[in-house]
Amino acid sequence: MTRQLLLPAVVCAALAAGCSTKKGFEKPGYAFGCPIGETKVSSMDDLVRAKVVAEGRRTTIQPTELRCSQTGELLRIDANLNNDSKTVKRIAYKFRWIDREGMRAWDEESWKPLMLHENSNLVINTISPTSKAADFRLILRSEE
Amino acid sequence: MKAAILMVVAVVVVAGCAKDTTRYGDARSVETMTNQFGSTDLQMMAESMARSMLQAPIIASSNLPVVTVQEVRNKTSEYIDTRAITDSIRSELQKGGRVRFAVDQAGMNPQVEELKRQQGGLYAKDTAAEMGQMVGAQYRLEGNIISIVKQVKDAKDVYYKLNLQLWNIRNGLLEWSDEKEIRKTTTRG
Repeated sequence: MTRQLLLPAVVCAALAAGCSTKKGFEKPGYAFGCPIGETKVSSMDDLVRAKVVAEGRRTTIQPTELRCSQTGELLRIDANLNNDSKTVKRIAYKFRWIDREGMRAWDEESWKPLMLHENSNLVINTISPTSKAADFRLILRSEE
Repeated sequence: MKAAILMVVAVVVVAGCAKDTTRYGDARSVETMTNQFGSTDLQMMAESMARSMLQAPIIASSNLPVVTVQEVRNKTSEYIDTRAITDSIRSELQKGGRVRFAVDQAGMNPQVEELKRQQGGLYAKDTAAEMGQMVGAQYRLEGNIISIVKQVKDAKDVYYKLNLQLWNIRNGLLEWSDEKEIRKTTTRG
């Protein structure tokens, strides 16, 4: 009797654990559609930490969400930037493209200035310039 | 009085001795020297348009479509080398290996001159480029850049909009079009 109850309980627990992962049904080496390689990513915060780099003057603006999708051979990226302060923030950003060997897949992009209104979100999106780009970093700096 | 003259002489001497300093900078950093069209605007427009064009179905699905670059008309109130914008877009697309470019109107004369030179009897026949072998473009890229300038006593606001279109030469259909907007505001004080 106990064994009969135990088996469905184990199955239910396994299903629940499977459903609780935020990554859903994803290819190995990807999280939220973004390539992560060997990096351990179990939440959106982990992904943001793995992909976002601060250079130059630090900014308080941080992406709250990063999502990627494959468009043909190219990687499409959406990054939701959040300014939860009570003042307008000015930042600059660029993407850095990395190939499968970890080398730069493209020249350094230009810095793109951006203004975020107070208490607002802004989605920046881009697409990889070449099919050689297998990974990326989002670089942020303050322009205050 | 003497002291004042001495002061002025000292200032002039010091100013005369001040050395100009030249340094290399980051060509890709954000440039905000004035609110006229600048390097950051050029780079942002070119990159944004090239990336958008990469997503156009005709580019994404075709096998290296052949494009020719036509004029980007400058409808702003300032001088802008629009050729620099299309040159940057062309470089980015060419480097990405997804588009081929046919010689455009501006490059046609040098191209024909070179063909004629090679056909002039100076070159070995098997190495000279033949007449009638140039590849015609399937698509042409053209566009406009406009600006709206508003100025009050202590503030100047400039809005730029670049619109690009990719036309199918054979059937005249518009295959892709996109815009990039930039706003810059300068305030005094």
